[in-house]
Amino acid sequence: MSLTEIMSNAGLSGYAEIALLLFFFAFVLIVWRVFRPSRKQELERHKDLPLDHDGPSTPRERRSE
Amino acid sequence: MAESVRPVASIPPERDVTQRPGVPRLDSFSYDDVVVRKFLWATIIWGIVGFCMGLIVAIQMAWPAFNLAPWFSFGRLRPLHTNAVIFAFAGNAIFTGLYYSTQRLLKARMFSDTLSKVHFWGWQAIIVSAALTLPFGFTQAKEYAELEWPIDIAIAVVWVIFAVNVIGTLVKRRERHIYVAIWFYIASIVTVAILHIFNNLSIPAGPLKSYSIYAGVQDAFMQWWYGHNAVAFFLTTPFLGLMYYFMPKAAGGPVFSYRLSIVHFWTLIFMYIWAGPHHLHYTALPEWASTLGMLFSVMLWAPSWGGMINGLLTLRGAWHKVVDDPVLKFMVVAITGYGMATFEGPMLSVKSVNALAHYTDWIIAHVHSGALSWNGFLTFGMIYWLAPRLFQTPLFSRKLAEAHFWIASFGIILYVVAIYSAGVTQGLMWRAFDETGRLAYPDFVETVARLIPMYWVRVAGGSLYIVGAVLFAYNIFRTWRARPATYDVPVVQAPPLPGAAAPAPAPTPVPAGAFARFVSLGWHRKWEGLPITFTVLTTLAVVIASLFEIIPTFLIKSNVPTIASVKPLTPLELAGRDLYIREGCFNCHSQMIRPFRYETERYGDYSKPGESVYEHPFLWGSRRIGPDLAREGGKYPDLWHVRHFQDPRAISPRSVMPAYPHLATSDLDFGVIQSRVDAMAMLGVPYGDAITDAAALARAQASQVAASIAQSGGDAGLETREIVAMIAYMQRLGRDAQGNTGNIPGAAAPTTPDVVPAATAGPAGPGGAR
Repeated sequence: MSLTEIMSNAGLSGYAEIALLLFFFAFVLIVWRVFRPSRKQELERHKDLPLDHDGPSTPRERRSE
Repeated sequence: MAESVRPVASIPPERDVTQRPGVPRLDSFSYDDVVVRKFLWATIIWGIVGFCMGLIVAIQMAWPAFNLAPWFSFGRLRPLHTNAVIFAFAGNAIFTGLYYSTQRLLKARMFSDTLSKVHFWGWQAIIVSAALTLPFGFTQAKEYAELEWPIDIAIAVVWVIFAVNVIGTLVKRRERHIYVAIWFYIASIVTVAILHIFNNLSIPAGPLKSYSIYAGVQDAFMQWWYGHNAVAFFLTTPFLGLMYYFMPKAAGGPVFSYRLSIVHFWTLIFMYIWAGPHHLHYTALPEWASTLGMLFSVMLWAPSWGGMINGLLTLRGAWHKVVDDPVLKFMVVAITGYGMATFEGPMLSVKSVNALAHYTDWIIAHVHSGALSWNGFLTFGMIYWLAPRLFQTPLFSRKLAEAHFWIASFGIILYVVAIYSAGVTQGLMWRAFDETGRLAYPDFVETVARLIPMYWVRVAGGSLYIVGAVLFAYNIFRTWRARPATYDVPVVQAPPLPGAAAPAPAPTPVPAGAFARFVSLGWHRKWEGLPITFTVLTTLAVVIASLFEIIPTFLIKSNVPTIASVKPLTPLELAGRDLYIREGCFNCHSQMIRPFRYETERYGDYSKPGESVYEHPFLWGSRRIGPDLAREGGKYPDLWHVRHFQDPRAISPRSVMPAYPHLATSDLDFGVIQSRVDAMAMLGVPYGDAITDAAALARAQASQVAASIAQSGGDAGLETREIVAMIAYMQRLGRDAQGNTGNIPGAAAPTTPDVVPAATAGPAGPGGAR
């Protein structure tokens, strides 16, 4: 029996609903994980990363164009 | 602009803090801004080229006489415009911001300067290849994937080089946490690679000619799985990465909510990949796939607006800066544009809205409202911010940047207002019936002629946008001119990972019990610190989502009921189809009649999935500037087509179609027909005797078509000209579904067991028949 025949006879009428549930489960898991109060401090301190590399950088050298 | 590079000098011991007692070891390094400057210039140059191509095709739509030559016609230049602005302008903008921000966020120089250079020059070579092939008709006929197979291979190679460089930088980074902007970059890199490779799988039929390995419904599905996600993972996620880095930099404060950015990332990654089928509502695509695409598109509202709000609220407490800072002005409008476009996109995916908007300028307006503001303005804002830092001198003129902002903003407004109006106007005209129940505008050209004033307004709007871009280029050029004789190259110090100066975060207590351990998600925290694992898992998320849609589309036979009377095109018709592709006719003509009364009244019976089982590639189209051609065969005599191709306005005075007189004067290349047939046969098209005798069969049919034209009063001696192949193809369109089949000796009908007669071959899903 070919894969095409197996898939054709598999009765996948609820396929889209399974996909939706799969996503919904993943979404709830992520939201719950990210927005737990206990993680707030841990996560929010990362927000400064783009800003914290502008400190003094010494020494400098010259590069010709 | 060649920049000579000298090795970074060692830090004098008296200034090296790592030599002081009690200080942990720090690495000293510098960032590679040479490649950033190169990508910046490429962005500006290709941006102006791409915008000007857009202006040219806009003028051609309003004034068809501006189709000056075969290589300068709308059908060939429109793909050049889209490729130039997406892959050349936006692509180089992504690389500019990515190379700058990645090094700084990871506290590491790029993995390899050589790979950076190969990436830069390889990408520019690909862009030049596109500019040299598309105007001459070398195209795969798949939107945003037009480039032929050798260039596709080059794109894959250069993209892998880019990926290795970024992943290598991640591996050697000195910052433990990978900032969310990098997540967006990683997802973009892996997903674009997957989309590009699988959508472009094809069988070569010559040095610059190939046929997609997929046919009909499957090809349409793969194309819009790619097409939509090209927007998602080339024009959205990498730019979101840029937003999450450059917006805080420009605003001088951190992103509003880091937690919201994480949810934004994961929900986009999970959802975007499903949404492609909304481009194929009411076509022969199975109903379930179309509905799934709509559902996920509507759900995209939430994360998209979450991201937009996160971006805008980054300015909390700093809104006063927007008044004086052109960088922030550009970014605020960019993020607002993102919000508007991502509100409208889900709305357009709703089937009832899509029924009106599909094939009209509404979609063009949607794309441009997003691209001109979100991609364009974010790029302008980013470069205005970068230029003083990269060229180490103040911006030449803030006033000029302000002028750029206002001129371009006004240009966007003119463009989108005109083209939204054009889209809604034409959509409503197509579906209008008079009081007797007949089409109110039965002549298609009426619905185009009404749009011409709006097309001229678009030309004005686009021109203003280009004027702004020229001011921008001049401003950056003058800034560059004022650069120092030599650039400072700061030496940065940071502890390596793992290192004493960067201790790992305190371990999180491990809950008792397997379930508690699972839901505590410590495993996810670990993934975030492992770039390769994170990359693999992001890839898996994308691949699994794709397979949920692709596997049933390809493997469930009932999705594409085949039709007994549908047979392969004859060799001459195939040659005509190749000319149709070469001239880019699919840019203006669809071949997919939707199951609405206002469509079947105008064009004929609605299209069935089984009609395109030999269509490599599918040519359903996405825009109707001309009428649908799915049932064109037999509507007009051969001579009508000759006259129409030579001068469309001689037949239909208000037509905007380019003239194709060269078809009647150029010789058809019978020598390549056999290789084309062989390639199609390799893909499983049952070509019968044509496998050994394609050229002779083509010559015989060409003589018949030429004789018919001559007998009708047309020119004699056309049997060797391209126009006979084009007419043979035109006259075949839609005939098979009516029971009229091709005439190749030995050509077989579909052999699968679910072959049904033409009369009963309906659409695959329950929503198809209306």
